[in-house]
Amino acid sequence: MPAQEGEDAPLLPPDTPLKIMEEEKPLLPGVTVRAATPERLVHLCVESFGDDGDLIDDSEYPSVLFLMHKWFMTSEELGKAFVDIYQSCDETILCTKPGCIHLHSNKGCEIQAYKAKICYAVRYWITNFPVHFDLDTHLKSVIRKFGTLVNSEGNHMFKELIDLSKVPSYDWMRNMSVRPGNSMRHNRKVSLVFNHLEPLELAEHLTWLEYKAFRRINFTDFKNYAMTASLKDNPKLERSIALFNGLSQWIQCMVLSKTTPQQRADVIVKFVNVAKKLRTLKNFNTLMSVVGGLTHSALARLAKTNACIPSETQKTMMEYTELLSSNNNFSNYRKVFNQCPGFKIPILGVHLKDLILLHTALPDRVEGNLINFRKMAQLSQTLKELTKLQNHEAPPVCANMDLVNTLRLSLDLHYTEDEIYELSLAREPRNSLSSVSETPSTPTKPVVFADWLAGVSPPDPNTINKHVHDMVEAVFKNYDHDKDGFISHAEFEAIAGNFPFIDSFCVLDADQDGMISKAEMKTYFFTANCHALRNSFKHDFHEYTYFKPTFCIHCTGLLWGLIKQGWKCKDCGINAHKHCKDLVVMECRSKQHAACNRRLDSVSNGPSPHQDLTYSSKRKMSQRQKRNRVHVGTQTEEAYFTDLSRHINGNWGIRDKLIAENKQLKEKLEQSNEQNIMLKSHLGVIRKNTIAFILEQMDALNIQRDTEV
Amino acid sequence: MFSCWTRRQKANMSKAKATQPQVIHKVIMVGSGGVGKSALTLQFMYDEFVEDYEPTKADSYRKKVVLDGEEVQIDILDTAGQEDYAAIRDNYFRSGEGFLCVFSITEQESFQATADFREQILRVKNDDNIPFLLVGNKADLEEKRQVTVDEAQQRAQQWSVPYVETSAKTRANVDKVFYDLMREIRSRKMEATRQSNGKPKKKKEKRRKCTLL
Ligand SMILES: Nc1nc2c(ncn2[C@@H]2O[C@H](COP(=O)(O)OP(=O)(O)OP(=O)(O)O)[C@@H](O)[C@H]2O)c(=O)[nH]1
Ligand SMILES: [Mg+2]
Ligand SMILES: [Zn+2]
Ligand SMILES: [Zn+2]
Ligand SMILES: [Zn+2]
Repeated sequence: MPAQEGEDAPLLPPDTPLKIMEEEKPLLPGVTVRAATPERLVHLCVESFGDDGDLIDDSEYPSVLFLMHKWFMTSEELGKAFVDIYQSCDETILCTKPGCIHLHSNKGCEIQAYKAKICYAVRYWITNFPVHFDLDTHLKSVIRKFGTLVNSEGNHMFKELIDLSKVPSYDWMRNMSVRPGNSMRHNRKVSLVFNHLEPLELAEHLTWLEYKAFRRINFTDFKNYAMTASLKDNPKLERSIALFNGLSQWIQCMVLSKTTPQQRADVIVKFVNVAKKLRTLKNFNTLMSVVGGLTHSALARLAKTNACIPSETQKTMMEYTELLSSNNNFSNYRKVFNQCPGFKIPILGVHLKDLILLHTALPDRVEGNLINFRKMAQLSQTLKELTKLQNHEAPPVCANMDLVNTLRLSLDLHYTEDEIYELSLAREPRNSLSSVSETPSTPTKPVVFADWLAGVSPPDPNTINKHVHDMVEAVFKNYDHDKDGFISHAEFEAIAGNFPFIDSFCVLDADQDGMISKAEMKTYFFTANCHALRNSFKHDFHEYTYFKPTFCIHCTGLLWGLIKQGWKCKDCGINAHKHCKDLVVMECRSKQHAACNRRLDSVSNGPSPHQDLTYSSKRKMSQRQKRNRVHVGTQTEEAYFTDLSRHINGNWGIRDKLIAENKQLKEKLEQSNEQNIMLKSHLGVIRKNTIAFILEQMDALNIQRDTEV
Repeated sequence: MFSCWTRRQKANMSKAKATQPQVIHKVIMVGSGGVGKSALTLQFMYDEFVEDYEPTKADSYRKKVVLDGEEVQIDILDTAGQEDYAAIRDNYFRSGEGFLCVFSITEQESFQATADFREQILRVKNDDNIPFLLVGNKADLEEKRQVTVDEAQQRAQQWSVPYVETSAKTRANVDKVFYDLMREIRSRKMEATRQSNGKPKKKKEKRRKCTLL
């Protein structure tokens, strides 16, 4: 602590406690105080106003004080401090006007002039920080009482200055979830299907979501985070970060859900175009999330995919990478951001870091108990930017609520970094010929559905339920043209394309009437979402004796032997080799199924939980086959899987043929290269029905082999 | 960050070399929130002069230091405040040449988290020998210790990295962790140059040392 600054108050006798330290080089115009007691700070604020109520020399001091006061005192306390000063004016202010009796009617009375300035200061507070008032009943009541006091002195003019009736409502800040505002001008017509969405539409809707989540985070949330470094009890900030991470991961999954490098490249190109629009909208936070997703190592390592990206797109990507680079303390971003006028959304993470470091570096109080106002001035520069959106009435975009609901649910789905990376490895296996240093860093191990690493918890079931509800309503509004409460399978599948890797269609169309009802769809999405919660991945394997040929869910090989051929999950019924059971990456679906079925049973004669796996595999398989006839796919494979499906159906006649063909397939697999093996070991990652998934991977393999040779 | 896409970045750096003739070593601070990453960074960068600290300046985390007689620059990326942005951590890690993986000896959870960070770093860097120090901070709070020296050492040994205990408060070992890491980075870089000059790669001797207060 620079001790010599104590000498700034030479008039005080040595034993009087220090009340104020002055700043040698003010950081901001008018902020000449280095540190002071709260009371002195309030006086300084009053004295920043001229007799006419204008700020003297455009001082920024009052705005810093009002913005920052919650760092060291409550709004109620600050409000009371103004009232106290007002009430003690008669003693503390010396009126030099001869013969003055200090009434409001006395022109030129210095006490009255000071009182006016107090009211100007409070007016400034109300006008520039209305949110403080709307959300704080204690503060409101202090100011109302102040109004009564002022009025009782006959100062009607003052009373008007501190009128609260024009403070707008900030009710939306109290709500957690993103909701349609009343300010929506028109509800745009847009497609809800990713493939049909224009980059601009996506960018605008993402910006809308961002705007809603961002502006809800208030000063106290930022302060608590800077002080505790924890998201505990900070749901609004947590929600915003979850949205950020969710978008990044959604992008990675959308890319990785495609089987060929070209298809993946196309998705990347699309998102780069989204990034361009976000840049134009000056939405830097979402831009960071999108670019972060696109440059994530799970995608950056995909050499074949990257080879398919046009150079134009590569260039744009590089441009944004540099713009958002952490180099030189994010100097590129900071420069551009500061120069942007009007509506803009900052990169939250970058500014949070500034807050945390300032808070770590500087103490809140100095010289005993003086408020470190230099620190407040420094913090205010960041917090001003972060809280600006609260006063922005509307973002420069309009949104279609149905699309917002669909998108929001897409972004709710959680994947772990591990899952995504494994998936990336499955799509384009590591090159075994690469440099020595590129030895696999970690042994290939089963995917662990790790804790939410970051401490961001997944949305709770109620929130998901609500999101699902809104989304399904939105889908039906747009696709159920004849309003009979059903949509066709094809339409549903198109929409499901927005949700890469959610669970299979097993619980969908439970009554198999070829049409999907609202209830079916809600159940489907809710179940799918629950699967993303990690608790549902643990299997309960037990040694088991099979009385008919059974196959390992992981390696697809037969479970050999007469007794105790393999291990069966008590809960979901999947089967695996002893050495494969720990590698199984498919989630355990029993509980959700049971729950869903119970619900569906009331409307249809749904299958019992026990039969469900067979039933759903069958359904899934026939869907796959239909699709496969259109796509590539070798005859053998199709025959094999057709037979397998018949087998699962309980058809015993083809047992021998099945085993033979299984052997054939195994031979074929052994012949394939290391890539093939890698690919195979990661098959389950996508959490789809394994068998159906193998088909898709085989397609991919064939295509890859074709393009390579 | 995002180094994979930035070839031009390298060009910029060599341009900067003309005016600033130093080598830059890029260090990344990782660890859970609140373990003292920022405190360590600030102690190392600013000593008792934190009063002058401005968080938003371009060179706020860059410092000229003398490393074994050679003038170099250290560039520190503190991931404070972004611990929860799991999705972009990956990109940050890519730009790092060395890592200080910090936990607080008073918080078992933060020690557990180091394994996740280590794994992610190895995956992103694809390099088992990446310069890396396991740092147990807040060593001044011995009475609140939750992580024993033994278990921390064991983990460090398993990873073949040094373990050092620090205190941002008393400044114990603060310089040491940064200098030790820079030395590792420097020797890694020299090795890489040797390799690119066609000389056979010398197998890196794994270090197993451990420094306590
Ligand atoms: N006793 C003691 N306290 C420390 C030490 N290092 C940091 N702290 C305190 O721990 C708290 C967190 O320190 P930070 O440096 O902000 O932690 P961080 O790891 O950067 O985490 P973020 O807050 O996310 O930036 C602060 O209150 C520090 O004063 C230390 O060595 N000893
Ligand atoms: Mg910190
Ligand atoms: Zn008077
Ligand atoms: Zn097996
Ligand atoms: Zn199971």
